[in-house]
Amino acid sequence: MVVFVVGIFGYMSLFTAFSHDVSASMKLLHGFPPTVRALLGIRIGSFFTILGFFGYMLTYLWLIGGIQAMNLGTGILSKEISGKTADFLLSKPISRFKVLTSKLAAALTIIIATNIIFVTASYISAEAFKTKDFNINVFLLSCLTMLFIQLFFLGVGFLVSILVPKIKSVLAYSLPIVFGFFIIGMLDSLIGAENARYLTPFKYFDVGYIAIHTAYEWRFLLTETAVVVICLVVSYLVYTRKDIQAPA
Amino acid sequence: MKIIETKKLTKYYGKSLGIKNVDLVVEQGEIFGFIGPNGAGKSTTIRTLLGLIYPTSGSATIFGKDILKFGSEIKEEIGYLPSEVFYYDNMKVIDLLKYSGSFYKKDSKLITKRIKELASYLDLDLKKKIDDLSYGNKKKVGIIQGLLHEPKLIILDEPTGGLDPLMQQRFFDLLREENKKGVTILFSSHILNEVQKLCDRVAIIKDGKIIKVEKISNLAENTHKRFRLETAVKVDKSRFTGIKGITDLVITDNSINFLFRGRINEITKIIASLNLTNILVEEPDLEEIFMHYYV
Repeated sequence: MVVFVVGIFGYMSLFTAFSHDVSASMKLLHGFPPTVRALLGIRIGSFFTILGFFGYMLTYLWLIGGIQAMNLGTGILSKEISGKTADFLLSKPISRFKVLTSKLAAALTIIIATNIIFVTASYISAEAFKTKDFNINVFLLSCLTMLFIQLFFLGVGFLVSILVPKIKSVLAYSLPIVFGFFIIGMLDSLIGAENARYLTPFKYFDVGYIAIHTAYEWRFLLTETAVVVICLVVSYLVYTRKDIQAPA
Repeated sequence: MKIIETKKLTKYYGKSLGIKNVDLVVEQGEIFGFIGPNGAGKSTTIRTLLGLIYPTSGSATIFGKDILKFGSEIKEEIGYLPSEVFYYDNMKVIDLLKYSGSFYKKDSKLITKRIKELASYLDLDLKKKIDDLSYGNKKKVGIIQGLLHEPKLIILDEPTGGLDPLMQQRFFDLLREENKKGVTILFSSHILNEVQKLCDRVAIIKDGKIIKVEKISNLAENTHKRFRLETAVKVDKSRFTGIKGITDLVITDNSINFLFRGRINEITKIIASLNLTNILVEEPDLEEIFMHYYV
C-alpha cells in the first residue's frame, strides 16, 4: 500500500514537468504512432490537464486494483481449502451462508479501506501538483471507478474460488484473468468497436465521458452490477450445497 | 432417546459409492463404536452427519432434528475431532481455541476456564504457535477444541493417531468422564482393540454398508486372536485339527500359525502341553476378521 501511495505521488509529480513545456511534450507524444497512443490510452487533448494526466494513470491503477481484488476474492475462501481448515470452520455452529457473508464483508472492508487511501492520496497529490483548479466532482467520480473495478474482480474471484475445486496458487488464477481482461481492453482501444466495451470492465468507465458529463455511462454501470450480482448469487448457491472433501 | 438416527443414508461421489443405505441408531449416553477398514465409509458417514458433505439420498437426525435443516443449531452441541487436524498455522494455540470457542453461545469466561483445565490435563502449552507444534500436540489442540464447549455429543473420527500410549489413556479417561456426565460419543476407528476398550456397542461398516451392529460384549466373545507358536520339536497337525474356533491353520516344521475365536482358557490348555520356544498372541487386523468371520 505504501508503494501504491508513493507511486501515485511519484507519477503526479511528473505533471509539473509535462505541463511546464506543453509544446515539447505534445511533440513527444505526437511522435508516437496513433496505434501505440491508442494502446496506451493516451489522449493528447486532455493529457495536459491534471484530470487527463490522472486519468491516464488510472487505467494502470485499475490493473493493480483489479489484481488485488481478484486475489482477495479468489484467496479468501480457497485458503480454507488449501490450508485444510475448512473442516474446522464448517463443523462449528455457523451456516455456510454466514461464513460466505463474513468472508465477503472482510474482503469488502479491505477494498473500501484501499479506496479511501487511494482517493485521499490521489486528491492530495492532485492538489499538490495542479497548475489550475479542477472539477472536484469529476475527480471523485474518476477515483471511484477504482471501487467499481475492484468490485467486479472481487465478484469474479469469489466465483472462481468456489467453482475451482483446489486452488494451490491464487496468483495462478488472478493474474491471467485480470491481464486477460486488460488485454481485451487494449485490443478494444485499437478496434474501437463500441459493443466490445461490454467484454471488459476496463472499458466500462471512460474518463473522457466522466469529464464531459460528470457521470458514468449507465449501461456499463448496469452491466457491471449484473456481473457482480450474478457472480455472488451463483457463489452462494453453489457454496451452500457444495461437498467439502476431507483434507488429504 | 435417540441422539443419532440415520435412515438409508446414501452418498455417492459421482459414480463411486461412499455409503449405501446406512441405518444407525445411537442412544443417549452411549459410547458407540464405528469400526471398519480404511475406506469403508466411516468418515463419509461422519462428514454427512456434520453437514460437510451432502447425502445423495436418505436422511439423518441428531437430537431428533434433521441434519440438513438444523445443521447450525445441532452443531452447537456437537464436538468433533477429525482424524487429521489442520488449523491456522500462524495463530497461537490459545487464540485458536478462543476463536473456536467464539462460535458457541456459551459464556466466554467458562470456555476460557475449560480450555485451561483441558490444556493442563493434556499437558499442552497454550502460548505456542500452531505451526511449532508436533503432530501429537496438534491432536491435543483438536481434542480441546472438540470439548471446550461441553458438547452433548462428541464425534471422533479415528482420533488417536499421533497420541502416544500415555496420552491415549488420558484421552480415553477424559472421554469416560464426559460419558459419565451423560455425553454421547460416536467413536470411529479401524483399530478393534481401541473400540473394545471404550465402547458399549459397535457398528461394523465395510464397502459403504453396515454389516453388523452388536454389543461390545458379544464382539469380545467373538474376537479373533492370531497365535504364532514356535516349538522345540515338530508338532503333528492333528493336535490342532478339529478344535472349535481355530481357522487359518498353517503348520510348517516347528511353527504353528492360526486364528482363534472362542475361550482363551481352552486354547491355552492345549498350548501349555507343547514344548514351546516362543509364543506371540496378536490382534488380527480388521481385514482378517472380516475375511474369516463377517464375509
